[in-house]
Amino acid sequence: MSESHETLLQQYLSEHQTAKSTADLETLRVKYLGKKGEVTELLKGLGKMAPEERKAVGAAINDLKNRIQNSLDESMRSVALSEQNAKLNAERPDHSLPGLYPSSGGLHPVVQVAREVADIFLSMGFFMAEGPEIEEEYYNFEALNVPSHHPARDMQDTFYLESGQVLRTQTSPVQIRTMEALKPPLKMIGLGKVFRKDSDITHSPMFNQMEGLVVGENISMADLKGTLVMFVENMFGKRPHRFRPSFFPFTEPSAEMDIQCIFCEGKGCKVCKNTGWMEVLGCGMVNPKVFDAVKYDTEKYTGFAFGMGIDRIAMLRYGINDIRLLFSSDIRFLRQF
Amino acid sequence: MKVLLSWLKDYIDIQESPEKIAEALNMTGLEVEEVIQPGKNLDQIVVGKILSRDPHPDADKLSLCSVDVNRGQPLQIVCGANNMKAGDKVPVAMLGAKLPGGFEISRAKIRGVESSGMMCSKKELGLSEDHGGLYILDESAHIGEDIVKALSLDEVIFDISITPNRGDALSHLGIARELSAIFNLPLHRDPLSNEDGEDSIENHINVEIEDTSHCPRYGARVVHNIKVGPSPEWLKDRLEKAGLRSINNVVDVTNYIMLDIGHPMHAFDLSKVEGNKIVVRNARKDEKIMTLDNIEHGLDSSMLVIADANKPLALAGVMGGLNSSVSENTCSVLLEAAFFNPTTIRKTAKRLGMMSDSSYRFERGTNIDNVPIALNQAARLLKEIAGGKPVKGLADCYPKPEILRQIRVRTKRANRVIGINLTPAQIETFLLRLKLDTRRDGEDLIVSVPPYRHDLELEVDIIEEIARMYGYNNIPETLPAITSVLQLPTALQKICTRLRDHMVSCGFNEIMTYSFIPENVSDSFREKKPMMLKNPLSEDLSAMRTSLKWGMYDALRRNILNDEFNLKLFEIGRVFHPSAGGLSEEHTRLCLGFSGSQNPRDWRRNGENFDLYVIKGVVENIAKLLRVKVKFTTGSCSLFHPAMQMELIVGKNHLGEIGQLHPEFIDNKKMPKCIYLVEIDLGKAAEASEGASRMQPIPDLPAIRRDLALVAPESIGNREINKILTAEGKALLEDCYLFDVYQGKGIEPGYRSLAYSLTFRDLRKTLTDEEIQPLIDKMIGRLDRELSVKLR
Ligand SMILES: [Zn+2]
Repeated sequence: MSESHETLLQQYLSEHQTAKSTADLETLRVKYLGKKGEVTELLKGLGKMAPEERKAVGAAINDLKNRIQNSLDESMRSVALSEQNAKLNAERPDHSLPGLYPSSGGLHPVVQVAREVADIFLSMGFFMAEGPEIEEEYYNFEALNVPSHHPARDMQDTFYLESGQVLRTQTSPVQIRTMEALKPPLKMIGLGKVFRKDSDITHSPMFNQMEGLVVGENISMADLKGTLVMFVENMFGKRPHRFRPSFFPFTEPSAEMDIQCIFCEGKGCKVCKNTGWMEVLGCGMVNPKVFDAVKYDTEKYTGFAFGMGIDRIAMLRYGINDIRLLFSSDIRFLRQF
Repeated sequence: MKVLLSWLKDYIDIQESPEKIAEALNMTGLEVEEVIQPGKNLDQIVVGKILSRDPHPDADKLSLCSVDVNRGQPLQIVCGANNMKAGDKVPVAMLGAKLPGGFEISRAKIRGVESSGMMCSKKELGLSEDHGGLYILDESAHIGEDIVKALSLDEVIFDISITPNRGDALSHLGIARELSAIFNLPLHRDPLSNEDGEDSIENHINVEIEDTSHCPRYGARVVHNIKVGPSPEWLKDRLEKAGLRSINNVVDVTNYIMLDIGHPMHAFDLSKVEGNKIVVRNARKDEKIMTLDNIEHGLDSSMLVIADANKPLALAGVMGGLNSSVSENTCSVLLEAAFFNPTTIRKTAKRLGMMSDSSYRFERGTNIDNVPIALNQAARLLKEIAGGKPVKGLADCYPKPEILRQIRVRTKRANRVIGINLTPAQIETFLLRLKLDTRRDGEDLIVSVPPYRHDLELEVDIIEEIARMYGYNNIPETLPAITSVLQLPTALQKICTRLRDHMVSCGFNEIMTYSFIPENVSDSFREKKPMMLKNPLSEDLSAMRTSLKWGMYDALRRNILNDEFNLKLFEIGRVFHPSAGGLSEEHTRLCLGFSGSQNPRDWRRNGENFDLYVIKGVVENIAKLLRVKVKFTTGSCSLFHPAMQMELIVGKNHLGEIGQLHPEFIDNKKMPKCIYLVEIDLGKAAEASEGASRMQPIPDLPAIRRDLALVAPESIGNREINKILTAEGKALLEDCYLFDVYQGKGIEPGYRSLAYSLTFRDLRKTLTDEEIQPLIDKMIGRLDRELSVKLR
C-alpha cells in the first residue's frame, strides 16, 4: 500500500471514529465509496496508468476499498441494531392494563362436582345412564321395594303430578330402567335432578343425586366397600372412613358411609356436629326383591348400589352454607366458581 | 326417640360410658343423634331456701334475699327475678360454680350490695328455654342437696333416630335387647306378670273382632277402684325425660308401657262403654268421632274403629275418642292392648292426616305376643299407683295365633354376599346374641324369627344381621372382579358436555333453575299447557316448565335488580311436555340469556351492547360446534320483539329461536331494553348433527381474490345477493363472504352498500383474470336485472 493510500485509510478511520449514526455512516460511504467518492476516484485514475503499474495499484486500491467497505458494513449493522433497540425500548406499554380477550365464564358448582365424581367412576369402568325426571310411581317406589302404605315412604316427601306420576325422589329408578334394558355384568352410574317436598337452608325441593349400581356374579359387600373407599379416597383424599348399618328399602344389607370430617380432621366441629365424622353416601347390597322386579336371577347375581347428594358434596367442598344459593342464579355467587 | 340410660338398666347391667354406648348403637344401625346429659355441667349448684326477700336499697328492680343453703350462715344474694317469695326453694349457684353457658359465679357487688351466689332459672341451668323467672323447686327438696341429685339430672338420655324397618327398637326394651346383643350381656325380663284379681273379666267385657286381617289380636283388662290423679314423681320424671307430658296416672301408665316395651295402649272409661262389649270393626259410612285432640272426624269404611255396642270409641291404633276418655271422675278403666295391621293403621292415619306415638309404632309393627304382657303390667301399675283393683283375667281375642316365621340361611350364601368366611357355628353365635333361635341343618341354619322382628323376611335380612354383628368395618375391602357391558355416552350426553365447555370458554356462567315454575306466568313463556303438580310447595313452584325461557328471564331480571347489568348466562336442562295418556315427554334444551354490554371490561370497546347479530353469531358458532346446519328464518315468538327475532330451522324441523325480549316484559326501570334469549332443543340438534366431513386436499395452485362493492335497495337481503353470486361463480367460486355493510354519507337514503370478498380457484390449473371476468360480469348483470343492485 502506498503512502497516499495509507493516509486515506487513516483519514477514513479517524472520521469513522466520530460516526455515531447510520446517517453518519452513509455520509462516510458516499464520501469514500460513492460515485464520486475518494476511493472511486482513485479507481477511475487507474485507466491512465500503465498496464503493469495498473495491476499492482489496482490490487492495492481494491484492498483499500474492501477494508473500508467491510468496516462500514460492520458498523452499519451494529449501529442499525442499537438504533432499532433504542427505538423499541422507547415504547412504553402499560403492563398493568387488563388483557382484552373476553373472560371465560364458569360451570355451575354442582356440575363441576358431578363431573369430578363421575370421572372417578368412569375411570373405574362404570358407564353413565339417565332416566326421566317425571317418573312412574312404579319405578320410583314399587320396583324399589317401597310398596304404597309403607312407612318407608315417609323417608321422602313426594311431589305428585296431576297425571298420577311423581317427580322422582331419587335417581334409583335409573337403576331399574338400566337393569330392564341390560343384562349383567354391569357397572353404572346415574346422575340427575331429584325432587322432595322440603325447603330450608339444607333442603331444596330440587337437588342432584349420583347413583351407582354394580351387578354380577359373586359381587359382595367387600366389593362395595373397596369400590366406595377407592372413590372416597380419590374425591376427598386418604382419610379414615367407616360404614354404619342403615336402612334403604332397595338394599339389604344397607349402610351409610362416613368419612373423617374434612373441616376439623376428626376433632369435632360445627359442621360434623362434634362427631368428627361426615356422612357422604348411602349404600347397600341390592335387595333380591329389586332383582325380582327386573327379572334378574337372584341366585346367580348379587350386586350393590349407592347414592349421594351432589349438592351436599359441593356445599362441603366450597363451604356453601345455604343450599338454595345453588339454584338462585345469582351471578355474584356463580362468578366465584 | 329419647331413651334413658337408667331405664335401660332395668333390663341390662351395662357399665359402658355413654359415649361408648352411643358409638356402639351408631355402628349397629341405630343412629344416636345426640347424647343429652342434663346434669353434666352443673357443679356446685344446690337447693336453697329463701328465708327473706327485701327490696335492694338502691335499685327498684332488684331484690335482696337471704338464702339458706345448709352451709352455716345464710347467703346474701341480689336477684333480678320477680317470681319468688320467702319460703320458696330454688337452685342456688354457689361461689365458684360454673353455669352451662360458661358463666362463673364469683363474689360481686351489685349496686353496692354484696352478693355471694346466684339463684337460677331453668334456662340458666340449661334445662329449658323457659326464662320465666327463677326455677321454683318442689316443697320436698332437701335444702343444701346438690341440684343434680335433687332433680335427678344425673341421667343420660340418648336421642335415637330409628329407621322405619326397626319398629322393634321403638322402646327401652328394644334398645336394651340391641345392646345386649352388641355387648353380649344378658337381658333381664320380668317373669310374665299375673292375671290375678277379683271377679272375672267375662262379667264385664266381651271382645269381638269383625275382620282379623285388620286386627289379628285384641286384649282387654278391667281395673276398678281407680283414683285418677297425678302420677308419682318417678313416673312423671321418666316420661318427661323421654319427651312425653305427664297427664294423669292412668294415661301415664299406658304411655309408660309404650315407652317401656313398645306396645301402645289405650284406657277407656269403662262406664262409657255401652253393652259390655268391644267390637273391632270398620267404621260405618257417615259415622263420626271426636278424638282426644277435640277434632271431629268423618269416617269411612276403610277406617278401623274400636266400638262398643252402639258407637265408635276410638280410631283403632291412632287416637282415642273424647266420649270414652279417662277423666277425673273415672273409677273403672278398660285397658286395651291389641295388634293392628300396620297398613290399616297407616291408611287411616294418612287419610285423617293424624300421626300419634301410637300409630307411629303400629305402622312399624308391634309385638303380638306383648298383648297380655302389656295389659298385665298396666294393671299391676294401676294397682300400685292408683289404688286400682284389677279384675281377674283378660279378654283376649286371638282367633288365629301367629306361627313364627322360619328362614333358612345358607352359610355359603351369607359368606358370598358379605365377602367373608364364617363357619355355621360362628353365625349361630351371632344370631343367638340377637335372640334369634336357630337350628342347624347341615351347613344351613334355620332361624325362627321372633314376632317383633317384622323386618326379617328373607334370607338376606338375616345376612344383614350377621353382617351387623360381625361389624361392617371388619369386612375386607376388595374390588368387583367383573367387566361391565359397554355403554358409550349417547350423542345427547356428548353434546351437553361439549356445549357446557364451549359456553364457559365463551364467557357464559351456568345457572340451574327449578324444573317447576309459577303457574301464572305469561303464556309467552309456555309452549304447551304445562303439567301441574298436585301438591306443590307453593303456587310459585307448581307448573312443570315447558321451556327454559322463564327461568332464564327470571334469572336475568333478578340479577339486574341486584345491579348486575352485564350478563351472559346459560342453562342446560329438561323441559316437560304432556303427551298422549297424560305421560310426559322430556326434552333437553339449551337456553342462553344476554343483557347489557358484550364486553364491559374491554377498555377499548366497552360501549358495545349485545345486538341480534352478535347473538346470531353465538348461535352460528354453536351450530358449527355441533355440526348442525341451521337456517335462520323469520320468527313469530310472542315473547320477542316482533321484528328482532329469528326462528332456527334444521332440515324441516324447528330447532329453537333467538330474539330480543319484547318491551312488554321489561317491567322494571333498571332493566335494559336489549335483553336477548336463545333456546335450542339439543335432542333435535343431536339428531341433525352430521358426522365429521372428509378432508379436502390443500390447493397448490394460486387463487384470485376480487372485492365487489355493491349498492342495494334496503329491501334486498344478503341472502338474495349471495344466492346470485354463488350461482354465477359456479365451481370456480371457492369462497364468498360479506365484509362490510354501510349506510350513510355517500349512499342514497333507502339504499345500503354491501361489500363482498370473492375467492376463485381452479384446482387443476392456474386461473387468469380473463377467465374470471366473464363470471363477474354475469354476476353484476343478474344483480342489476333481478335485484336492482348496482356496482358502487
Ligand atoms: Zn368436623
